Amino acid sequence: MSLTTLPVRQVLMALVLLPALYLDFAIYQAGNVWIALAFLIVIAFGAYIYLRREAYPFRYLFPGFLGFGLFVIFPLVYTVCIGFMKYSSQNLLPYDRALELLLQETYLSGDVSYHYQLFAQDAGKYILVLQDMKDPGRRFASEPIDLKAGQQSGASESVTPVTPIAPGTQPPGKPLEMAQVTREKLFIPMRGRQFSLPDKTIVTLEGLARFAARQRLYTLNPDGTLTNRRDGSIVHADPQQGYFVNQKGEKVGVGFRTFTGFDNYVRILSDPRIQGPFLRIFLWTVAFSIFSVLGTFATGLLLAVVLEWKEIQCRKIYRTLLILPYAVPAVLSILIFKGLFNQEFGAVNAFLRGIFHFAPEWETNPWGARAMILLVNIWLGYPYMMLICTGMLQSIPSTIYEASAIDGSNALVDLFKITLPLILPPLFPILISSFAFNFNNFNLVYLLTAGGPKMVGGGIAGETDLLVTYTFNLAFRDSGTNYGLASAIATILFIMVGVLAWANLRIGGRNVKM
Amino acid sequence: MAFPSLKTEPARVSNLRDRSTRRHRLTHEQRLLIRKVLAHAFLLSFLAIVLVPFIMVVSASFRQGNFAPSRLLPDKVSLDHWKYVLGIPYTEVVNPATGETRVVKPVVPPLLWFWNSIKVSCLSSAGIILLSGTAAYAFSRFKFKFRTPILSSLLILQMFPMVLALVAFYVILDFTGTYVKWLGLNTQAGLIMVYLGGISSYIWMIKGYFDTIPASMEESARIDGASPFQTFVRILLPVSIPIFAVVFILSFIGYMSEYPVASVVLQTGNNWTLAVGANSFLYEQEKLWGRFAALAVLSGVPITVVFMLCQRFVIGGLTSGGIKE
Repeated sequence: MSLTTLPVRQVLMALVLLPALYLDFAIYQAGNVWIALAFLIVIAFGAYIYLRREAYPFRYLFPGFLGFGLFVIFPLVYTVCIGFMKYSSQNLLPYDRALELLLQETYLSGDVSYHYQLFAQDAGKYILVLQDMKDPGRRFASEPIDLKAGQQSGASESVTPVTPIAPGTQPPGKPLEMAQVTREKLFIPMRGRQFSLPDKTIVTLEGLARFAARQRLYTLNPDGTLTNRRDGSIVHADPQQGYFVNQKGEKVGVGFRTFTGFDNYVRILSDPRIQGPFLRIFLWTVAFSIFSVLGTFATGLLLAVVLEWKEIQCRKIYRTLLILPYAVPAVLSILIFKGLFNQEFGAVNAFLRGIFHFAPEWETNPWGARAMILLVNIWLGYPYMMLICTGMLQSIPSTIYEASAIDGSNALVDLFKITLPLILPPLFPILISSFAFNFNNFNLVYLLTAGGPKMVGGGIAGETDLLVTYTFNLAFRDSGTNYGLASAIATILFIMVGVLAWANLRIGGRNVKM
Repeated sequence: MAFPSLKTEPARVSNLRDRSTRRHRLTHEQRLLIRKVLAHAFLLSFLAIVLVPFIMVVSASFRQGNFAPSRLLPDKVSLDHWKYVLGIPYTEVVNPATGETRVVKPVVPPLLWFWNSIKVSCLSSAGIILLSGTAAYAFSRFKFKFRTPILSSLLILQMFPMVLALVAFYVILDFTGTYVKWLGLNTQAGLIMVYLGGISSYIWMIKGYFDTIPASMEESARIDGASPFQTFVRILLPVSIPIFAVVFILSFIGYMSEYPVASVVLQTGNNWTLAVGANSFLYEQEKLWGRFAALAVLSGVPITVVFMLCQRFVIGGLTSGGIKE
């Protein structure tokens, strides 16, 4: 048997290893040395595990761990790292890129100005001719360039060279009048372009009628600071702010991302603009999770108890239909409820208006919105609890109830004195995982209310936001994205839920079998 | 039976029973009847809360115009929303005064989103079974270093919400996409790859099941010269079909409903999954409830039916600690 299985394994190994090594080489060639190295280590590990006998159990673990490492552990570590960084829409670029942009900045160096003329070519192209205002003999012409009337050209960073032309000569094409340039708004695309003279001076359009020479604004000093050529000030990078600053402490250029240690955490705890919404959202998240667990558990238990009563007919049909909310994909149910709870036209308010002459503001009132979220979540979650409670109830021997009935007890006493004490301890881990699940119940809140209504003075925070949706908005909403702060909150979230999961493992008795 | 299974009596019923006994001295049969009627009334009203939303969605899908689900029966019946969802062109009156019409046909037939979802969820679930099944086998049958700490850290690390790892997912897929085109951003393969990270709770479930199967069969096979892999495939797997069915159904349903990751990874309409597509009908300015309802019915019904058919499996698996996402 081993004779036939052995070569198969080697061939399979080769089939996987060779493409992997090829891919790794491609990554290395593209310049991602560290990633290539990490990948190589993973490949080596894999080869070791599948070729050596002593690592046998890991043959079964390796593929799963690969996925787990890449899509659970790596994102986690990555997020924790960003949590220690100043990294937001203002501090977006890496340091090198921000420095490069700063070094590209130019200023009007002054004395030499140029008249210009455009010569129309075919297909919307133009040749630009420059003439020195003081020395009309100095003339230059460009290659035909694309100018789209009224549109900023995308070529703002590239520099178009111009070459000297002899006095008296004319480039091909029809020269444009100044009035034509303004009427067709050709100055707009021209403004975005830079032209370089043979002596490397940069010239750009100044106002409407003339070009002027520009120079690079900054020179890089050996110690890493920058000198401003125009006013002689010294600019240095401030890693604490993630900005370049001059001697007066003013910010210069664009920000860059930078490690700032515990700054984000300090801000969460002390900055009133963040601390206020954070605390409120935290409290609501905890309240939401507790009430969701209690609500689903109470509803599920009640239904399970009623359905255990053998005298009721059609119990099977009831049970099957009552599981429906669990069987329908939750996304669809949540969106359906978004429609049913619509304040003006939804079915819920139509019903309440018709019977009680009362229409709660599910969308604009914070308490209405919170109540709606809890109601929908109980609707979505009770079948799970009902199923589990049914299983538990069926395992309780009926003799206990018969004995208590002889003692003259009633159903309520039975429920609280017999049933609950018996089913709560084994249910406890499930209640805790349900709590943890609801703590991060992104789909429900994001799809139902998107966090709304807005919290007054809370920035992007909404009254029904959970920490997880708030963090998502902090990181991904277009305006004022703040990855650093979002990641710090994500880390706190993870620690809280992780501790819960750990405690659950300890008390849940799941570890007994390990 | 003198005491009709008291443990199952709802509290309300029992209170009423006490009062009525005092006042009217009802016979035992009458009391039982009243309790039964009340229990049925309670269950029926609860069923109404469960079923009415679904009935309203069905009605909204057949109702002319785009109204939020609010009626049990449509006032004006129209098949337009169904035609739209199925990708069949239909004519719509643009201006009632002039009788001007236009032909409406979706750029991407919404039915495609349903198919995409089925594809992504099936492949992800199959991958999950493969990865978590083999890992669970190692945890259940082998002794190796750090086994217990690895098992617990798997569970704890998985508590990190996937939503908040989106930046990292984006970075990874952007990277893989530059080398392997079909595995990058805006590909379903990339999304499936991300989904395959969520294995740890399933490892726990399957391991729990493997632990209940006595190892004696495998041991005797080993004595007969079978390798661990052979005992795994030939002996353990055939008796573990039920737990794999549970894992498949739970992860399938979980991925059918997954919204945030899919909405960031899949960028163009032809790649969207059901969750992303269904939500796209309900943007703030214009909520296309009719189309949404038709899509919801069309895709919700088969999934629900499959779930109901497999119910027995799932309920057995749930008690061993799975949670639907």
